[in-house]
Amino acid sequence: MTAAATFMPTVTEAREAGFFPSRHTVEVVDNRKLADGVYRLTFRDEYIAGHAKPAQFVDVYSNDPTRLMPRPFGVAEVDGDEVSLMFAVVGKGTAEFAGLHAGDTIRVMGPLGNSFGTKQAANYVLVAGGLGVPPLVRAAQYIAGLEHASSTAVFGYRNVRFGDEYVGRYADKVYSIDESEGNVITLLDRIENELMTGDKKPIILSCGPLPMMKAVAAWAAKRGIEAQLSLEQRMGCGYGTCVLCTVDTVEGRLKVCSDGPVFTREQLGWGE
Amino acid sequence: MNVEQPQHANLYEQHEWKHPTQVAGVPWKNPVATASGTFQYAAVRWFYDVSQLGAVTTKGVSPVPWEGNPGVRTAEGPSSNINAVGLQNPGVDHYLEDDLLKLKAINATVIANVAGHCDDDYAEVVAKLNDSPADMLEINVSCPNVSAGGMSVGTDPVALSRLITRLRKITDKKMIVKLTPNVTDITVPARAAVESGADALSLINTLLGMRINIRTGEPVITHVTGGVSGPAVLPVGLAAVWRVRAALPTIPIIGIGGIDSGEKALEYLYAGANAIEVGAAALFEPTAPLRVARELDDLLDDRPELADKLAKGETWR
Repeated sequence: MTAAATFMPTVTEAREAGFFPSRHTVEVVDNRKLADGVYRLTFRDEYIAGHAKPAQFVDVYSNDPTRLMPRPFGVAEVDGDEVSLMFAVVGKGTAEFAGLHAGDTIRVMGPLGNSFGTKQAANYVLVAGGLGVPPLVRAAQYIAGLEHASSTAVFGYRNVRFGDEYVGRYADKVYSIDESEGNVITLLDRIENELMTGDKKPIILSCGPLPMMKAVAAWAAKRGIEAQLSLEQRMGCGYGTCVLCTVDTVEGRLKVCSDGPVFTREQLGWGE
Repeated sequence: MNVEQPQHANLYEQHEWKHPTQVAGVPWKNPVATASGTFQYAAVRWFYDVSQLGAVTTKGVSPVPWEGNPGVRTAEGPSSNINAVGLQNPGVDHYLEDDLLKLKAINATVIANVAGHCDDDYAEVVAKLNDSPADMLEINVSCPNVSAGGMSVGTDPVALSRLITRLRKITDKKMIVKLTPNVTDITVPARAAVESGADALSLINTLLGMRINIRTGEPVITHVTGGVSGPAVLPVGLAAVWRVRAALPTIPIIGIGGIDSGEKALEYLYAGANAIEVGAAALFEPTAPLRVARELDDLLDDRPELADKLAKGETWR
Protein backbone atom coordinates (compact mmCIF):
# COMPACT_ATOMS: atom_id res chain seq x y z
CA MET A 1 0.00 0.00 0.00
CA THR A 2 1.18 3.47 -0.80
CA ALA A 3 1.00 6.20 1.77
CA ALA A 4 -2.01 8.43 1.16
CA ALA A 5 -1.26 11.99 0.15
CA THR A 6 -2.39 14.86 2.35
CA PHE A 7 -4.15 17.78 0.73
CA MET A 8 -3.79 20.66 3.20
CA PRO A 9 -4.43 23.66 0.96
CA THR A 10 -1.80 26.37 1.18
CA VAL A 11 -1.97 30.06 0.33
CA THR A 12 0.78 29.77 -2.27
CA GLU A 13 -0.85 26.84 -4.06
CA ALA A 14 -4.22 28.60 -4.13
CA ARG A 15 -2.77 31.86 -5.46
CA GLU A 16 -0.73 30.09 -8.13
CA ALA A 17 -3.89 28.36 -9.33
CA GLY A 18 -5.79 31.67 -9.32
CA PHE A 19 -8.00 30.92 -6.32
CA PHE A 20 -8.73 32.60 -3.00
CA PRO A 21 -6.83 30.93 -0.14
CA SER A 22 -8.95 28.44 1.79
CA ARG A 23 -8.53 27.91 5.55
CA HIS A 24 -4.84 27.58 6.30
CA THR A 25 -2.43 27.43 9.23
CA VAL A 26 -0.50 30.47 10.47
CA GLU A 27 1.90 31.20 13.32
CA VAL A 28 0.97 33.38 16.27
CA VAL A 29 3.62 36.03 16.90
CA ASP A 30 2.06 37.89 19.82
CA ASN A 31 -0.97 37.84 22.09
CA ARG A 32 -1.50 40.47 24.75
CA LYS A 33 -4.23 41.49 27.17
CA LEU A 34 -5.54 45.02 26.54
CA ALA A 35 -8.21 45.10 29.24
CA ASP A 36 -10.18 42.60 31.29
CA GLY A 37 -11.27 39.97 28.78
CA VAL A 38 -9.99 41.94 25.76
CA TYR A 39 -7.00 40.67 23.77
CA ARG A 40 -4.87 41.69 20.80
CA LEU A 41 -3.75 38.66 18.79
CA THR A 42 -1.09 38.98 16.10
CA PHE A 43 -0.25 36.30 13.54
CA ARG A 44 1.94 36.11 10.45
CA ASP A 45 0.05 35.99 7.14
CA GLU A 46 1.48 37.76 4.13
CA TYR A 47 -1.67 37.40 2.06
CA ILE A 48 -4.10 38.79 4.62
CA ALA A 49 -1.69 41.54 5.67
CA GLY A 50 -1.28 42.56 2.04
CA HIS A 51 -4.99 42.64 1.23
CA ALA A 52 -7.04 43.48 4.35
CA LYS A 53 -8.97 46.72 3.93
CA PRO A 54 -10.92 48.47 6.69
CA ALA A 55 -13.98 46.49 7.93
CA GLN A 56 -12.81 43.31 6.25
CA PHE A 57 -12.61 40.41 8.65
CA VAL A 58 -10.71 37.20 9.27
CA ASP A 59 -12.29 33.86 10.18
CA VAL A 60 -10.32 32.23 12.99
CA TYR A 61 -10.81 28.51 13.64
CA SER A 62 -10.49 26.71 16.95
CA ASN A 63 -7.82 24.07 17.43
CA ASP A 64 -10.44 22.04 19.30
CA PRO A 65 -12.08 19.61 16.83
CA THR A 66 -15.41 19.87 18.66
CA ARG A 67 -15.61 23.61 17.84
CA LEU A 68 -15.81 23.79 14.08
CA MET A 69 -17.37 27.06 13.12
CA PRO A 70 -15.05 30.00 12.52
CA ARG A 71 -15.09 33.10 14.72
CA PRO A 72 -15.06 36.28 12.59
CA PHE A 73 -12.95 39.26 13.73
CA GLY A 74 -12.41 42.57 11.97
CA VAL A 75 -8.76 43.22 11.14
CA ALA A 76 -7.41 45.83 13.57
CA GLU A 77 -3.93 46.51 12.18
CA VAL A 78 -1.44 45.18 9.68
CA ASP A 79 2.33 45.58 9.89
CA GLY A 80 4.50 44.03 7.19
CA ASP A 81 3.33 40.42 7.05
CA GLU A 82 1.69 40.59 10.48
CA VAL A 83 -2.04 40.88 11.12
CA SER A 84 -3.52 41.99 14.45
CA LEU A 85 -7.03 41.31 15.70
CA MET A 86 -8.68 42.54 18.88
CA PHE A 87 -11.37 40.46 20.51
CA ALA A 88 -13.31 39.97 23.73
CA VAL A 89 -13.66 36.64 25.47
CA VAL A 90 -17.35 35.83 25.17
CA GLY A 91 -17.31 32.04 25.09
CA LYS A 92 -15.15 28.93 24.90
CA GLY A 93 -13.80 29.67 21.42
CA THR A 94 -12.57 33.14 22.28
CA ALA A 95 -11.27 31.87 25.65
CA GLU A 96 -9.11 29.43 23.68
CA PHE A 97 -7.78 32.25 21.47
CA ALA A 98 -6.98 34.31 24.57
CA GLY A 99 -4.69 31.49 25.67
CA LEU A 100 -2.60 31.41 22.48
CA HIS A 101 1.10 32.22 22.77
CA ALA A 102 3.79 33.29 20.33
CA GLY A 103 4.90 30.22 18.38
CA ASP A 104 1.50 28.51 18.56
CA THR A 105 -0.37 27.84 15.33
CA ILE A 106 -3.93 28.69 14.44
CA ARG A 107 -6.01 28.34 11.28
CA VAL A 108 -7.42 31.41 9.57
CA MET A 109 -9.07 32.53 6.35
CA GLY A 110 -9.42 36.00 4.90
CA PRO A 111 -9.68 38.83 4.34
CA LEU A 112 -13.45 38.41 3.96
CA GLY A 113 -16.33 40.78 3.29
CA ASN A 114 -16.47 44.24 1.80
CA SER A 115 -14.58 47.24 3.11
CA PHE A 116 -15.57 50.76 4.03
CA GLY A 117 -15.49 53.05 1.00
CA THR A 118 -12.70 55.61 1.37
CA LYS A 119 -12.32 56.91 -2.21
CA GLN A 120 -13.91 60.30 -1.55
CA ALA A 121 -11.93 63.29 -0.36
CA ALA A 122 -13.28 63.56 3.16
CA ASN A 123 -12.65 63.65 6.86
CA TYR A 124 -13.67 60.14 7.86
CA VAL A 125 -15.30 60.14 11.28
CA LEU A 126 -14.58 56.75 12.80
CA VAL A 127 -17.37 56.10 15.29
CA ALA A 128 -16.90 52.92 17.29
CA GLY A 129 -18.27 51.37 20.43
CA GLY A 130 -16.65 48.58 22.45
CA LEU A 131 -15.54 45.72 20.22
CA GLY A 132 -16.49 47.82 17.20
CA VAL A 133 -13.18 49.62 17.80
CA PRO A 134 -10.78 47.19 15.99
CA PRO A 135 -12.01 47.65 12.38
CA LEU A 136 -11.90 51.42 12.88
CA VAL A 137 -8.31 51.27 14.07
CA ARG A 138 -7.60 49.58 10.73
CA ALA A 139 -9.65 52.30 9.00
CA ALA A 140 -7.48 54.97 10.65
CA GLN A 141 -4.34 53.10 9.62
CA TYR A 142 -5.55 52.76 6.03
CA ILE A 143 -6.73 56.38 5.76
CA ALA A 144 -3.40 57.62 7.11
CA GLY A 145 -1.93 56.33 3.85
CA LEU A 146 -4.39 58.28 1.68
CA GLU A 147 -3.53 61.80 0.52
CA HIS A 148 -7.13 62.86 -0.03
CA ALA A 149 -8.48 61.93 3.39
CA SER A 150 -8.14 62.56 7.10
CA SER A 151 -9.70 60.81 10.05
CA THR A 152 -11.25 61.68 13.38
CA ALA A 153 -11.72 58.80 15.81
CA VAL A 154 -14.76 58.91 18.09
CA PHE A 155 -14.56 55.90 20.36
CA GLY A 156 -16.88 54.84 23.16
CA TYR A 157 -15.91 52.30 25.79
CA ARG A 158 -17.48 50.62 28.79
CA ASN A 159 -14.42 51.49 30.93
CA VAL A 160 -10.85 50.72 29.75
CA ARG A 161 -10.00 52.71 26.60
CA PHE A 162 -8.10 49.83 25.04
CA GLY A 163 -8.04 51.14 21.46
CA ASP A 164 -6.87 54.72 21.99
CA GLU A 165 -3.16 53.91 21.99
CA TYR A 166 -3.50 52.06 18.70
CA VAL A 167 -5.77 54.47 16.85
CA GLY A 168 -3.64 57.34 18.15
CA ARG A 169 -0.82 56.16 15.88
CA TYR A 170 -2.88 56.89 12.77
CA ALA A 171 -5.90 59.16 13.30
CA ASP A 172 -5.59 62.92 12.91
CA LYS A 173 -7.71 63.42 16.00
CA VAL A 174 -8.87 61.05 18.72
CA TYR A 175 -11.84 61.58 21.01
CA SER A 176 -12.95 58.91 23.43
CA ILE A 177 -15.43 58.50 26.21
CA ASP A 178 -16.49 55.85 28.69
CA GLU A 179 -19.86 54.98 30.16
CA SER A 180 -19.29 57.14 33.26
CA GLU A 181 -19.26 60.20 31.01
CA GLY A 182 -21.60 59.35 28.16
CA ASN A 183 -21.47 57.70 24.77
CA VAL A 184 -20.36 58.38 21.20
CA ILE A 185 -23.39 60.58 20.55
CA THR A 186 -22.28 62.78 23.48
CA LEU A 187 -18.92 63.11 21.73
CA LEU A 188 -20.41 63.71 18.28
CA ASP A 189 -22.61 66.49 19.70
CA ARG A 190 -19.57 67.99 21.37
CA ILE A 191 -17.48 68.10 18.17
CA GLU A 192 -20.32 68.72 15.70
CA ASN A 193 -19.26 72.28 14.92
CA GLU A 194 -15.68 71.22 14.27
CA LEU A 195 -16.81 68.39 11.96
CA MET A 196 -19.28 70.46 9.98
CA THR A 197 -16.97 73.44 9.45
CA GLY A 198 -13.76 71.54 8.65
CA ASP A 199 -12.11 71.92 5.23
CA LYS A 200 -13.17 68.36 4.29
CA LYS A 201 -16.73 67.07 4.38
CA PRO A 202 -17.35 64.49 7.09
CA ILE A 203 -18.25 60.86 6.26
CA ILE A 204 -19.08 58.53 9.13
CA LEU A 205 -17.67 55.00 9.26
CA SER A 206 -19.10 53.10 12.20
CA CYS A 207 -19.02 49.76 13.99
CA GLY A 208 -20.41 48.82 17.38
CA PRO A 209 -23.50 47.59 19.20
CA LEU A 210 -26.73 47.76 17.19
CA PRO A 211 -28.45 50.48 19.30
CA MET A 212 -25.31 52.62 19.05
CA MET A 213 -25.13 52.28 15.27
CA LYS A 214 -28.81 53.09 14.88
CA ALA A 215 -28.28 56.23 16.96
CA VAL A 216 -25.22 57.13 14.87
CA ALA A 217 -27.21 56.61 11.64
CA ALA A 218 -29.96 58.89 12.97
CA TRP A 219 -27.39 61.51 14.01
CA ALA A 220 -25.86 61.39 10.53
CA ALA A 221 -29.22 61.46 8.74
CA LYS A 222 -30.33 64.55 10.64
CA ARG A 223 -27.25 66.39 9.37
CA GLY A 224 -27.23 64.93 5.86
CA ILE A 225 -23.94 63.11 6.48
CA GLU A 226 -23.09 59.90 4.65
CA ALA A 227 -22.81 56.94 7.03
CA GLN A 228 -21.35 53.49 6.37
CA LEU A 229 -22.12 50.93 9.07
CA SER A 230 -20.30 47.65 9.61
CA LEU A 231 -22.69 45.07 11.08
CA GLU A 232 -22.22 41.97 13.17
CA GLN A 233 -24.39 38.86 13.03
CA ARG A 234 -23.97 35.27 14.17
CA MET A 235 -22.13 33.82 11.19
CA GLY A 236 -21.55 30.45 9.62
CA CYS A 237 -19.07 30.11 6.78
CA GLY A 238 -18.02 33.77 6.49
CA TYR A 239 -17.75 33.59 2.68
CA GLY A 240 -21.34 33.70 1.45
CA THR A 241 -22.31 30.09 0.93
CA CYS A 242 -24.41 29.16 3.98
CA VAL A 243 -26.73 32.20 4.18
CA LEU A 244 -26.83 32.07 7.98
CA CYS A 245 -25.87 35.69 8.79
CA THR A 246 -28.62 37.70 7.19
CA VAL A 247 -29.83 41.22 7.94
CA ASP A 248 -33.05 42.84 6.78
CA THR A 249 -32.40 45.78 4.45
CA VAL A 250 -34.55 47.85 2.11
CA GLU A 251 -33.11 45.62 -0.65
CA GLY A 252 -34.30 42.46 1.10
CA ARG A 253 -32.59 39.96 3.35
CA LEU A 254 -28.86 40.25 2.65
CA LYS A 255 -25.81 38.34 3.91
CA VAL A 256 -23.71 40.25 6.45
CA CYS A 257 -20.54 38.32 5.52
CA SER A 258 -20.44 38.77 1.76
CA ASP A 259 -23.02 41.46 0.91
CA GLY A 260 -21.65 43.40 3.91
CA PRO A 261 -20.47 43.70 6.59
CA VAL A 262 -20.61 47.36 5.48
CA PHE A 263 -24.00 48.79 4.58
CA THR A 264 -25.09 52.40 4.09
CA ARG A 265 -27.71 53.89 6.38
CA GLU A 266 -29.98 54.14 3.31
CA GLN A 267 -29.61 50.39 2.65
CA LEU A 268 -30.55 49.63 6.24
CA GLY A 269 -33.35 52.20 6.28
CA TRP A 270 -31.94 53.64 9.49
CA GLY A 271 -32.36 57.25 10.53
CA GLU A 272 -34.80 58.03 7.72
CA MET B 1 10.01 -0.10 11.37
CA ASN B 2 9.79 2.20 8.41
CA VAL B 3 6.59 4.20 8.57
CA GLU B 4 5.85 5.91 5.30
CA GLN B 5 4.91 9.53 5.95
CA PRO B 6 2.04 11.02 3.97
CA GLN B 7 3.31 13.31 1.22
CA HIS B 8 1.85 16.77 0.82
CA ALA B 9 0.01 17.03 -2.50
CA ASN B 10 -1.26 20.16 -4.21
CA LEU B 11 -5.06 20.25 -4.03
CA TYR B 12 -5.29 22.66 -6.95
CA GLU B 13 -3.28 20.70 -9.51
CA GLN B 14 -5.14 19.35 -12.52
CA HIS B 15 -6.17 15.81 -11.72
CA GLU B 16 -7.25 12.87 -13.84
CA TRP B 17 -9.99 11.20 -11.82
CA LYS B 18 -9.32 7.49 -11.52
CA HIS B 19 -12.51 6.22 -9.92
CA PRO B 20 -15.86 7.34 -11.33
CA THR B 21 -19.29 6.28 -10.14
CA GLN B 22 -22.83 6.25 -11.48
CA VAL B 23 -26.00 7.35 -9.75
CA ALA B 24 -29.17 6.08 -11.45
CA GLY B 25 -27.24 5.77 -14.69
CA VAL B 26 -25.87 9.33 -14.56
CA PRO B 27 -22.06 9.25 -14.73
CA TRP B 28 -20.12 11.18 -12.09
CA LYS B 29 -16.36 11.66 -12.53
CA ASN B 30 -15.88 10.80 -8.86
CA PRO B 31 -18.26 9.83 -6.02
CA VAL B 32 -18.20 13.23 -4.26
CA ALA B 33 -20.82 15.99 -4.53
CA THR B 34 -21.68 19.06 -2.52
CA ALA B 35 -24.72 18.85 -0.25
CA SER B 36 -27.61 21.19 -0.97
CA GLY B 37 -27.82 24.20 1.30
CA THR B 38 -24.06 24.45 1.68
CA PHE B 39 -23.30 25.30 -1.94
CA GLN B 40 -23.71 28.74 -3.50
CA TYR B 41 -21.77 29.00 -6.77
CA ALA B 42 -21.17 32.75 -6.44
CA ALA B 43 -19.36 32.10 -3.14
CA VAL B 44 -17.60 28.78 -3.80
CA ARG B 45 -16.22 29.58 -7.28
CA TRP B 46 -13.45 31.72 -5.76
CA PHE B 47 -12.02 28.73 -3.88
CA TYR B 48 -11.72 25.94 -6.46
CA ASP B 49 -12.96 24.64 -9.81
CA VAL B 50 -16.28 23.10 -8.78
CA SER B 51 -16.62 21.26 -12.10
CA GLN B 52 -14.00 18.83 -10.74
CA LEU B 53 -16.52 17.37 -8.32
CA GLY B 54 -18.64 14.32 -9.10
CA ALA B 55 -21.63 16.63 -8.93
CA VAL B 56 -22.71 19.89 -7.34
CA THR B 57 -26.04 20.00 -5.57
CA THR B 58 -27.37 23.53 -5.58
CA LYS B 59 -29.47 25.19 -2.89
CA GLY B 60 -33.18 24.41 -2.84
CA VAL B 61 -35.22 26.47 -5.28
CA SER B 62 -38.89 27.35 -4.95
CA PRO B 63 -41.40 28.71 -7.50
CA VAL B 64 -40.94 32.28 -6.24
CA PRO B 65 -38.16 33.91 -4.17
CA TRP B 66 -38.21 32.98 -0.48
CA GLU B 67 -36.82 35.28 2.22
CA GLY B 68 -36.10 32.48 4.69
CA ASN B 69 -36.23 32.90 8.45
CA PRO B 70 -35.55 36.22 10.22
CA GLY B 71 -33.09 36.87 13.03
CA VAL B 72 -30.35 34.60 14.29
CA ARG B 73 -30.14 31.52 12.07
CA THR B 74 -27.26 29.55 13.50
CA ALA B 75 -25.73 28.13 16.64
CA GLU B 76 -22.80 25.83 17.21
CA GLY B 77 -23.07 22.38 18.75
CA PRO B 78 -20.36 19.91 19.77
CA SER B 79 -18.66 18.95 16.46
CA SER B 80 -21.68 20.34 14.67
CA ASN B 81 -23.50 23.34 13.34
CA ILE B 82 -27.20 24.11 13.68
CA ASN B 83 -28.86 26.05 10.87
CA ALA B 84 -32.31 27.51 10.41
CA VAL B 85 -32.05 29.28 7.05
CA GLY B 86 -35.56 28.31 5.98
CA LEU B 87 -34.62 27.76 2.32
CA GLN B 88 -33.94 31.40 1.42
CA ASN B 89 -33.52 31.44 -2.36
CA PRO B 90 -34.09 33.74 -5.34
CA GLY B 91 -36.63 31.43 -7.01
CA VAL B 92 -36.49 28.94 -9.87
CA ASP B 93 -36.57 31.51 -12.70
CA HIS B 94 -33.48 33.25 -11.36
CA TYR B 95 -31.82 29.86 -10.85
CA LEU B 96 -32.47 28.82 -14.46
CA GLU B 97 -31.01 32.03 -15.84
CA ASP B 98 -28.10 32.38 -13.45
CA ASP B 99 -26.54 29.60 -11.33
CA LEU B 100 -27.61 26.70 -13.54
CA LEU B 101 -26.34 28.30 -16.76
CA LYS B 102 -23.04 29.27 -15.15
CA LEU B 103 -22.51 25.78 -13.75
CA LYS B 104 -23.33 24.10 -17.06
CA ALA B 105 -21.01 26.54 -18.85
CA ILE B 106 -18.10 25.09 -16.88
CA ASN B 107 -19.36 21.52 -17.49
CA ALA B 108 -20.32 20.78 -13.89
CA THR B 109 -22.67 17.87 -13.25
CA VAL B 110 -25.58 19.63 -11.57
CA ILE B 111 -28.19 18.29 -9.18
CA ALA B 112 -30.96 20.86 -8.80
CA ASN B 113 -32.55 20.73 -5.35
CA VAL B 114 -36.29 21.40 -5.35
CA ALA B 115 -38.17 22.99 -2.43
CA GLY B 116 -41.84 23.73 -1.89
CA HIS B 117 -44.46 24.64 0.71
CA CYS B 118 -47.04 22.39 -0.99
CA ASP B 119 -47.34 19.82 -3.79
CA ASP B 120 -48.18 22.53 -6.34
CA ASP B 121 -44.93 24.36 -5.50
CA TYR B 122 -42.82 21.25 -6.10
CA ALA B 123 -44.70 20.47 -9.32
CA GLU B 124 -44.18 23.97 -10.68
CA VAL B 125 -40.43 23.88 -10.04
CA VAL B 126 -39.98 20.35 -11.39
CA ALA B 127 -41.89 21.25 -14.58
CA LYS B 128 -39.54 24.20 -15.18
CA LEU B 129 -36.42 22.18 -14.40
CA ASN B 130 -37.51 19.37 -16.69
CA ASP B 131 -36.72 21.56 -19.69
CA SER B 132 -33.42 22.75 -18.20
CA PRO B 133 -29.87 21.43 -18.56
CA ALA B 134 -29.89 20.18 -14.92
CA ASP B 135 -28.46 16.64 -14.82
CA MET B 136 -30.54 15.36 -11.91
CA LEU B 137 -33.23 16.66 -9.58
CA GLU B 138 -33.20 16.26 -5.81
CA ILE B 139 -36.57 16.64 -4.11
CA ASN B 140 -36.20 18.19 -0.66
CA VAL B 141 -38.89 16.64 1.52
CA SER B 142 -36.72 16.84 4.60
CA CYS B 143 -35.94 20.46 5.52
CA PRO B 144 -36.71 20.93 9.24
CA ASN B 145 -36.86 24.74 9.02
CA VAL B 146 -39.99 25.50 7.03
CA SER B 147 -43.53 25.52 8.41
CA ALA B 148 -45.06 23.74 5.41
CA GLY B 149 -43.56 21.32 2.90
CA GLY B 150 -40.07 20.08 3.69
CA MET B 151 -39.93 17.63 6.58
CA SER B 152 -43.73 17.57 7.02
CA VAL B 153 -43.91 15.71 3.69
CA GLY B 154 -40.88 13.51 4.25
CA THR B 155 -42.15 12.17 7.58
CA ASP B 156 -45.57 11.18 6.17
CA PRO B 157 -45.29 8.22 3.77
CA VAL B 158 -48.77 8.82 2.33
CA ALA B 159 -48.06 12.49 1.57
CA LEU B 160 -44.64 11.55 0.23
CA SER B 161 -46.09 8.90 -2.12
CA ARG B 162 -48.68 11.34 -3.41
CA LEU B 163 -46.03 13.98 -4.11
CA ILE B 164 -43.46 11.73 -5.77
CA THR B 165 -46.13 9.97 -7.88
CA ARG B 166 -47.23 13.40 -9.17
CA LEU B 167 -43.67 14.61 -9.84
CA ARG B 168 -42.80 11.35 -11.65
CA LYS B 169 -45.46 12.17 -14.27
CA ILE B 170 -43.96 15.63 -14.85
CA THR B 171 -40.29 14.79 -15.34
CA ASP B 172 -38.13 12.25 -17.10
CA LYS B 173 -35.03 13.62 -15.34
CA LYS B 174 -33.45 11.30 -12.80
CA MET B 175 -35.16 12.16 -9.54
CA ILE B 176 -33.42 11.82 -6.17
CA VAL B 177 -35.52 12.06 -3.02
CA LYS B 178 -33.67 13.51 -0.01
CA LEU B 179 -34.80 11.92 3.23
CA THR B 180 -34.97 13.16 6.79
CA PRO B 181 -33.51 11.17 9.70
CA ASN B 182 -36.20 12.62 12.00
CA VAL B 183 -38.39 9.51 11.76
CA THR B 184 -38.69 6.25 13.69
CA ASP B 185 -37.77 4.07 10.72
CA ILE B 186 -36.16 5.71 7.71
CA THR B 187 -36.83 2.65 5.54
CA VAL B 188 -40.55 3.54 5.57
CA PRO B 189 -40.26 6.89 3.69
CA ALA B 190 -37.41 5.37 1.64
CA ARG B 191 -39.68 2.60 0.38
CA ALA B 192 -42.56 5.03 -0.17
CA ALA B 193 -40.34 7.24 -2.33
CA VAL B 194 -38.94 4.36 -4.38
CA GLU B 195 -42.34 2.72 -4.93
CA SER B 196 -43.68 6.10 -6.14
CA GLY B 197 -40.98 6.49 -8.76
CA ALA B 198 -37.82 7.90 -7.16
CA ASP B 199 -34.70 6.96 -9.16
CA ALA B 200 -32.37 7.40 -6.17
CA LEU B 201 -32.32 8.44 -2.52
CA SER B 202 -30.06 10.85 -0.70
CA LEU B 203 -29.75 10.64 3.06
CA ILE B 204 -29.58 12.10 5.57
CA ASN B 205 -30.82 15.69 5.77
CA THR B 206 -30.16 17.49 9.08
CA LEU B 207 -31.29 16.32 12.50
CA LEU B 208 -33.63 18.55 14.50
CA GLY B 209 -31.76 20.38 17.27
CA MET B 210 -31.35 23.57 19.26
CA ARG B 211 -29.13 25.46 21.73
CA ILE B 212 -30.11 27.65 24.67
CA ASN B 213 -28.31 30.77 25.82
CA ILE B 214 -27.81 30.26 29.57
CA ARG B 215 -27.43 34.00 30.19
CA THR B 216 -30.98 34.65 28.97
CA GLY B 217 -32.54 31.18 29.25
CA GLU B 218 -33.79 31.63 25.68
CA PRO B 219 -33.04 29.72 22.45
CA VAL B 220 -30.00 30.97 20.53
CA ILE B 221 -31.78 30.61 17.18
CA THR B 222 -34.76 32.90 16.55
CA HIS B 223 -36.61 30.03 14.83
CA VAL B 224 -35.94 28.07 18.10
CA THR B 225 -34.94 24.80 16.37
CA GLY B 226 -32.71 24.16 13.40
CA GLY B 227 -31.02 21.36 11.54
CA VAL B 228 -27.89 19.77 13.01
CA SER B 229 -25.07 18.82 10.66
CA GLY B 230 -21.33 18.27 10.87
CA PRO B 231 -19.04 15.45 12.04
CA ALA B 232 -21.32 14.73 15.02
CA VAL B 233 -23.99 13.23 12.74
CA LEU B 234 -21.68 10.79 10.92
CA PRO B 235 -22.84 7.66 12.83
CA VAL B 236 -26.49 8.60 12.32
CA GLY B 237 -26.06 9.01 8.57
CA LEU B 238 -24.12 5.76 8.27
CA ALA B 239 -26.77 3.76 10.12
CA ALA B 240 -29.47 5.29 7.94
CA VAL B 241 -27.64 4.34 4.73
CA TRP B 242 -26.95 0.86 6.08
CA ARG B 243 -30.61 0.25 6.93
CA VAL B 244 -31.98 1.64 3.66
CA ARG B 245 -29.46 -0.42 1.69
CA ALA B 246 -30.57 -3.55 3.54
CA ALA B 247 -34.24 -2.77 2.87
CA LEU B 248 -33.83 -1.69 -0.76
CA PRO B 249 -30.92 -3.63 -2.29
CA THR B 250 -30.90 -2.01 -5.74
CA ILE B 251 -31.86 1.66 -5.28
CA PRO B 252 -28.98 4.10 -5.85
CA ILE B 253 -28.08 5.90 -2.60
CA ILE B 254 -26.15 9.11 -2.00
CA GLY B 255 -24.78 9.08 1.55
CA ILE B 256 -24.71 12.35 3.48
CA GLY B 257 -23.83 13.25 7.04
CA GLY B 258 -20.63 14.29 8.76
CA ILE B 259 -18.23 13.58 5.90
CA ASP B 260 -15.06 15.66 6.09
CA SER B 261 -12.43 13.19 4.85
CA GLY B 262 -11.83 10.49 2.27
CA GLU B 263 -11.89 7.88 5.04
CA LYS B 264 -15.38 8.90 6.18
CA ALA B 265 -16.58 8.92 2.55
CA LEU B 266 -15.24 5.38 2.27
CA GLU B 267 -17.31 4.31 5.30
CA TYR B 268 -20.47 5.38 3.46
CA LEU B 269 -19.41 3.52 0.31
CA TYR B 270 -18.84 0.37 2.36
CA ALA B 271 -22.29 0.91 3.94
CA GLY B 272 -23.77 0.62 0.47
CA ALA B 273 -23.80 4.14 -0.98
CA ASN B 274 -23.05 4.80 -4.67
CA ALA B 275 -21.80 8.29 -3.92
CA ILE B 276 -21.61 10.83 -1.10
CA GLU B 277 -22.16 14.52 -0.45
CA VAL B 278 -20.05 16.88 1.65
CA GLY B 279 -22.14 19.49 3.45
CA ALA B 280 -21.25 21.22 6.72
CA ALA B 281 -17.51 20.64 6.22
CA ALA B 282 -17.60 23.24 3.43
CA LEU B 283 -18.83 25.82 5.94
CA PHE B 284 -15.62 25.58 7.96
CA GLU B 285 -13.28 24.62 5.11
CA PRO B 286 -14.39 25.91 1.69
CA THR B 287 -12.23 23.41 -0.24
CA ALA B 288 -13.40 20.39 1.80
CA PRO B 289 -15.49 18.79 -1.02
CA LEU B 290 -12.54 18.82 -3.42
CA ARG B 291 -10.14 17.60 -0.72
CA VAL B 292 -12.47 14.71 0.17
CA ALA B 293 -12.74 13.79 -3.52
CA ARG B 294 -8.96 13.74 -3.94
CA GLU B 295 -8.44 11.71 -0.75
CA LEU B 296 -11.10 9.22 -1.79
CA ASP B 297 -9.64 8.90 -5.29
CA ASP B 298 -6.35 7.79 -3.72
CA LEU B 299 -8.00 5.52 -1.14
CA LEU B 300 -9.91 3.70 -3.89
CA ASP B 301 -6.59 2.81 -5.60
CA ASP B 302 -6.09 0.23 -2.90
CA ARG B 303 -9.69 -1.04 -3.07
CA PRO B 304 -10.12 -2.16 -6.69
CA GLU B 305 -13.12 -4.38 -5.97
CA LEU B 306 -15.11 -1.47 -4.49
CA ALA B 307 -13.90 0.91 -7.21
CA ASP B 308 -14.98 -1.52 -9.96
CA LYS B 309 -18.44 -1.87 -8.46
CA LEU B 310 -18.91 1.90 -8.20
CA ALA B 311 -17.78 2.43 -11.79
CA LYS B 312 -20.42 -0.06 -12.97
CA GLY B 313 -23.18 1.63 -10.91
CA GLU B 314 -23.11 -1.17 -8.33
CA THR B 315 -22.49 -0.93 -4.60
CA TRP B 316 -20.40 -2.78 -2.03
CA ARG B 317 -23.47 -4.25 -0.37
